[in-house]
Amino acid sequence: MLRLAVFVVCLASALGFNTLVLVDTLATRETHSIFLKSLQERGHEVSVKAADDPSLQLSRYGEYIYQNLVILAPGVEEFGGALSVETIVEFVDGGGNVLVAGSRDAADLIRELVTEVGVEMDEEGAAVIDHLHYDANDDGQHTLIAAPSSGLIESEVMVGPRDAVPLLYRGTGLITDADNPLVLPVLRAPSTAYCYNPTQSISDYPHATGQNMLLVAALQARNNARVVVSGSLEFFSDAFIMASVQTPQGAFYERSGNGKVVEALSQWVFKEEGVLRVVSVQHHLQGEKEPPVAYTIKQDVEYKIKVERLVDGVWKPFMSNDLQVEFVRIDPFIRLIMTPNKDGVFSVTFKVPDVYGVYQFKVEYNRVGFTRLFSTTQVSVRPFTHVEYERFIECAYPYYASAFSMMVGVFLFSMVFLHHKESPHKTKAE
Amino acid sequence: MGRTQAKTMSSMSSPLGVKSLLVFTVLMLAWLAGFLSRLFAVIRFESIIHEFDPWFNYRATAHMVKNGFYNFLNWFDERAWYPLGRIVGGTVYPGLMVTSGSIHYILNLLNIPVHIRDICVFLAPIFSGLTAIATYLLTKEIWSAGAGLFAACFIAVVPGYISRSVAGSYDNEGIAIFALMFTYFLWVKSVKTGSLFWSSMASLSYFYMVSAWGGYVYIINLIPLHVFALLLMGRFSHRLYTAYTTFYILGLICSMQIPFVGFQPIRTSEHMAAAGVFALLNAVAVLKYLQSVMTRAEFRHFFLVAAGTAAGAVFLAVVGLTWMGIVAPWSGRFYSLWDTGYAKIHIPIIASVSEHQPTTWFSFFFDLHILVATFPVGLWYCIKNINDERVFIVLFAVSAVYFAGVMVRLMLTLTPVVCVLGGIAFSRLFEVYLKEEEQSRPQSGDSSDDDEDGEKNNKYDKAGKLRKMKHEQQSSNDGLGVNIRSMVIVAVLMILMMFSVHCTWVTSNAYSSPSIVLASYSQDGRQILDDFREAYYWLAQNTDTDARVMSWWDYGYQIAGMANRTTLVDNNTWNNSHIALVGKAMSSNETAAYDIMTALDVDYVLVIFGGVIGYSGDDINKFLWMVRIAEGEHPKDIKESDYFTDRGEFRVDAQGSSTLLNCLMYKLSYYRFGELKLDFRTPHGFDRTRNTVIGNKDFKLTYLEEAYTTEHWLVRVYRVKKPDEFNRPRIPVSQRKVKRRNVYLTKKTSKRRRGSIKNRPVVVKGHRPKTKLT
Repeated sequence: MLRLAVFVVCLASALGFNTLVLVDTLATRETHSIFLKSLQERGHEVSVKAADDPSLQLSRYGEYIYQNLVILAPGVEEFGGALSVETIVEFVDGGGNVLVAGSRDAADLIRELVTEVGVEMDEEGAAVIDHLHYDANDDGQHTLIAAPSSGLIESEVMVGPRDAVPLLYRGTGLITDADNPLVLPVLRAPSTAYCYNPTQSISDYPHATGQNMLLVAALQARNNARVVVSGSLEFFSDAFIMASVQTPQGAFYERSGNGKVVEALSQWVFKEEGVLRVVSVQHHLQGEKEPPVAYTIKQDVEYKIKVERLVDGVWKPFMSNDLQVEFVRIDPFIRLIMTPNKDGVFSVTFKVPDVYGVYQFKVEYNRVGFTRLFSTTQVSVRPFTHVEYERFIECAYPYYASAFSMMVGVFLFSMVFLHHKESPHKTKAE
Repeated sequence: MGRTQAKTMSSMSSPLGVKSLLVFTVLMLAWLAGFLSRLFAVIRFESIIHEFDPWFNYRATAHMVKNGFYNFLNWFDERAWYPLGRIVGGTVYPGLMVTSGSIHYILNLLNIPVHIRDICVFLAPIFSGLTAIATYLLTKEIWSAGAGLFAACFIAVVPGYISRSVAGSYDNEGIAIFALMFTYFLWVKSVKTGSLFWSSMASLSYFYMVSAWGGYVYIINLIPLHVFALLLMGRFSHRLYTAYTTFYILGLICSMQIPFVGFQPIRTSEHMAAAGVFALLNAVAVLKYLQSVMTRAEFRHFFLVAAGTAAGAVFLAVVGLTWMGIVAPWSGRFYSLWDTGYAKIHIPIIASVSEHQPTTWFSFFFDLHILVATFPVGLWYCIKNINDERVFIVLFAVSAVYFAGVMVRLMLTLTPVVCVLGGIAFSRLFEVYLKEEEQSRPQSGDSSDDDEDGEKNNKYDKAGKLRKMKHEQQSSNDGLGVNIRSMVIVAVLMILMMFSVHCTWVTSNAYSSPSIVLASYSQDGRQILDDFREAYYWLAQNTDTDARVMSWWDYGYQIAGMANRTTLVDNNTWNNSHIALVGKAMSSNETAAYDIMTALDVDYVLVIFGGVIGYSGDDINKFLWMVRIAEGEHPKDIKESDYFTDRGEFRVDAQGSSTLLNCLMYKLSYYRFGELKLDFRTPHGFDRTRNTVIGNKDFKLTYLEEAYTTEHWLVRVYRVKKPDEFNRPRIPVSQRKVKRRNVYLTKKTSKRRRGSIKNRPVVVKGHRPKTKLT
């Protein structure tokens, strides 16, 4: 199943992804041309449509016609055609990738959609405000945030190599549950930021403040579908990508950091980066080729797993020093780090524990930014059969000796007995 | 004996032939009657394996027939006790499988193709005939051939034995009772003759018994007890010495060949009595020898010193070995034989089994009918005319009565001895009342049986008692007239007829249900409820071959046998903590249960629910045992008191405790039951088994989904959702921080599919846009 899915992805990458971009005004095609163009350059079949287009559909005859969905339409109150929150959610559950951008005035539909992936947008009209980290072009409300790059998630796969350039952001704040392991904070707000309607006086405590507030959030679902949610549509716009940044502290940057981050993030969300797959799993006794029906306790087993990583559309051997295999029967009995060879084949040799049962070879590799690598192989470990035990035990030699001497004794004694009984008869007969 | 034989041979050579023909006919008829009366289940239902344990035995037998004996011996069953697995060869008494396997083999050699299932189904009824013959032989050794025929007829139809040996009840007990009685016969024979041959045969028969049933421990304690009693009574003889020493050593070595028994005979307390008696017997033999050598005074002095030291040494050795852990202390099941409350406090898993409950007085009559009243008479006769072998039957009777009182299940060991003694009682009665004419004649008064008996008694017994006995009987019988005698005979015959009617009735009504197929009777006639097989067949057809099914341990063997799916726990309750884990999952709430279920890789959960048809043996009624067993292992997480109301009641209606109403077992049993209206008189969600309306009607399952529910809701199967089905961390409305007020109503219709966009610039022809386009 996994391999099939991987195969489909592989095929799609060779043919080019089908990506649907929904916009609320067609002007967005112009304002976000750099972003859309970079998609096309990377081999995406981009089709831009209005979000209320009555002919919209994601799947045809039960098969998805798009792999990726970009929603740059914060104002959409209802999708046209067959699209709705439910179908988009199904699309994610079916493995599709989604990028959603909101804004201060995002419609309820977008808010509803993002709660389905574990993210909440702050109330309508609320904007992220930071009186210390704003850009010089700000209109005075301090809503044009120059977010320091230290708020970016520490994952080169997701946001590219880190530099010190701040990122421009204008929009609403995102709230997530910190205990939720699937939602990743791609860009945290600066610690001095808060989210409130800038035109109103603050009457109650803001929903999102400081570092608990996210500007960009990402989800990698359990089926490896990826979703990126941004509270700002402009984050992806040409204007912000090309803009220069001047912080109130006086630092000046020729270009904002948005360009690089948007590029890297879009590569990540459309599964062009950070994709791993298991190619093959082998296990057998040491020195053999084929796996036995069941292993016997204390045997030496060799386990091999081949892992590949997608690099620029091509599967290349994956190199890592922290891939572990576990030999599990409820609890792991053995946990070993495997070493890869140059073909990406990780292998390890170990002795099966002295406990029989049904075990699983389990490889589980979860790293931020990478798809979940998971492989289990169930094997039985059986005890010795009745002929596999030692036939003669050293410490029992006295007992063997006594048993055999007894047998010999009985034999000799009966001979002697018979012989002696015979002789008086003979004499009598004689 | 020799004299009697000579006499009968000379006087009437043809009656001997007639007599053996009669014996043969009676035994054949007993066999046939026993066989036929066990076929109710087959005729009413079908040729099918019954209940729970037989399913495992059948599965193991089929495996052995398919793969050969050695593969069976080394069979590691990865489908049971997932993920622990079970070494079947080392945890099973293989006698049953080997017996039916060899029958199958022989029949196949003779080109009679019989399916192994039919052999398994009919094995117990066939062996009941062999049991009848073994009982005949034993009773003949103890009393007379006439009593033996009575005993054989009784054992053939008595419900106490039929309960474990109807067709389809393919269990160890079916063949073990034969092995038990045959071993006892051979033992009695070897004590009587003192021959190496018979005692070797006894140990071989004992070997068969060991291979067939865990109840062999009863033999290995009763025979030493017999020897010990004989020693106490001063009945030491070289016959006894030969019989016991041969039996003990050969039996010990043979029994250790069974992998499941292994070193237990020399390492556990249950077997120590036999070893102790062996030592004692040898000591007595030495003393007897010394007695013949020493003078009386010397001997007395020596005896006191030697006995004191020997007793002290043996006691210290046993205590020391137990303390060092070489000899294991008594097992829990064994303790519960002495203290009936022991299991309830310490080992709930033993107490939870219905057949381990103490017996009610009612079931004695139900299972034995008139025999329960007459067997004390036979016992009294045996005590009156005591000799070596009658000591044995007395001990057998007394111990079996005690054990049968402690555990329902051990009614099975009481039944044969009751038949033997009942046979003796009836035989004596008929002797007295039918043979009056002959008795009135002088000298040749007794029947040949009785005469033979007398001879035996003269041989082994102090002669005086018996003669006095006879004298009494004769004098008491003198006054009886023909009328009284015929009345008594008719009355006794009536009783015996009622006995056979009762036996047939009990067999047909109580013991002939396969329990995997239920039948209900109504005005419309008989209705078959085949829900169990429906569910198991569904599992077999619709689930992955490696799917792991969690259920309470009662259904483990059936799932493995009928659905051929991996189970977590089954009726071989060897691992209490694993069962407790399943019990914990069943008694926790859904979230906690899901953690346990994912840790155990559970794919499906199967529960038995009787609320729709009023089936009382369902999982909710067993539920407290699950809680208790789980509490024994996880006292922090599960507390029995949480499942009761404040007033200490276990109830599933609205007043039940909330822990109960939200635990997994409750939810799985009653999921969607609140919507069900059974008939127009009762409200929705009325549970017929417990006669209440359930307390928690509307609930949804988060981590499981209903996979299959059988026709009468008896078996419900749920699929456990995999973690990747909880794909996205959706934020439920109640946990959202930002509350939304306005609800958007869709404007899309089937014709107009356009969506809507907020603040969308709309082009209206003929109008200027209101907003400036600067």
